[in-house]
Amino acid sequence: MTAPRSGARRTLAELSVPSEPGNERRAMEEVARAVEGLGLPDRTLERLKTAVAEATMNAMEHGNNYRSEAPVVIEVSASEADLSVKLTDEGSGPPAFDSETPDLEAKLEGMQTPRGWGLFLIKSMVDEMSVTGDEHHHTVELVMHLGDRAEGGK
Amino acid sequence: MAVRNLEVEVRRESGGAVLDLRGEINGFAQEALNAAYAEAEAMNPEAIILNFEGVDYINSTGIALIVGLLARARAAKRRLVAYGLSDHYVEIFNITRLSDFVNVFPDEESALSGAA
Repeated sequence: MTAPRSGARRTLAELSVPSEPGNERRAMEEVARAVEGLGLPDRTLERLKTAVAEATMNAMEHGNNYRSEAPVVIEVSASEADLSVKLTDEGSGPPAFDSETPDLEAKLEGMQTPRGWGLFLIKSMVDEMSVTGDEHHHTVELVMHLGDRAEGGK
Repeated sequence: MAVRNLEVEVRRESGGAVLDLRGEINGFAQEALNAAYAEAEAMNPEAIILNFEGVDYINSTGIALIVGLLARARAAKRRLVAYGLSDHYVEIFNITRLSDFVNVFPDEESALSGAA
């Protein structure tokens, strides 16, 4: 369940990256620059960067099929309570995430593919994740709670 | 931002074969990583030691490549050891449970001692 949000929300950045292999790093660095003024603890920032990179990769690969002319559009906004990053691709149909929970022992035994870590990493890095979509777009929203965030917290 | 392709150098030390990794561990790294691992295997060491000091980015595809190396090491009854990971990637090794199978050390000295 999504927690209620409070306070005025301001947009920190709106950007887009072409769907080309490796561009997830560009996305994560640009988002990191956009949130510089929030003073996030290093651990929180690194978690955000990993989540943004993985969500961008998924959008480029599964949503846009790595068509460079199809961008991933990213909107970064914040309120006093939380930081939100919305990533929208041009995919249609159900959003494509590998729904199988990665099990390292199963992977080592050849029972699961070695891949399939993306969604697991995203969910492990952020406080909330939601996926919406219509016949023309998918949007993944990543949310990190900002209130009384401490270095030791998620 | 240009992708920093992975460069790997392999060297033999008393505790095992060390792979000095520099760059990004992502989908582009597969060929270089697997070739370097094969070169290390040819030295027939008891342990293969991954030096991450020069690595600034690992994505989910990179995690999959490391899982592949771990599977090869286990099949050969060879230990896989890592050092030089940032705090963030140590956390990722923990949540993926890679650290249950790959001994993670802070530096080369402790890694070589631990591998021996």
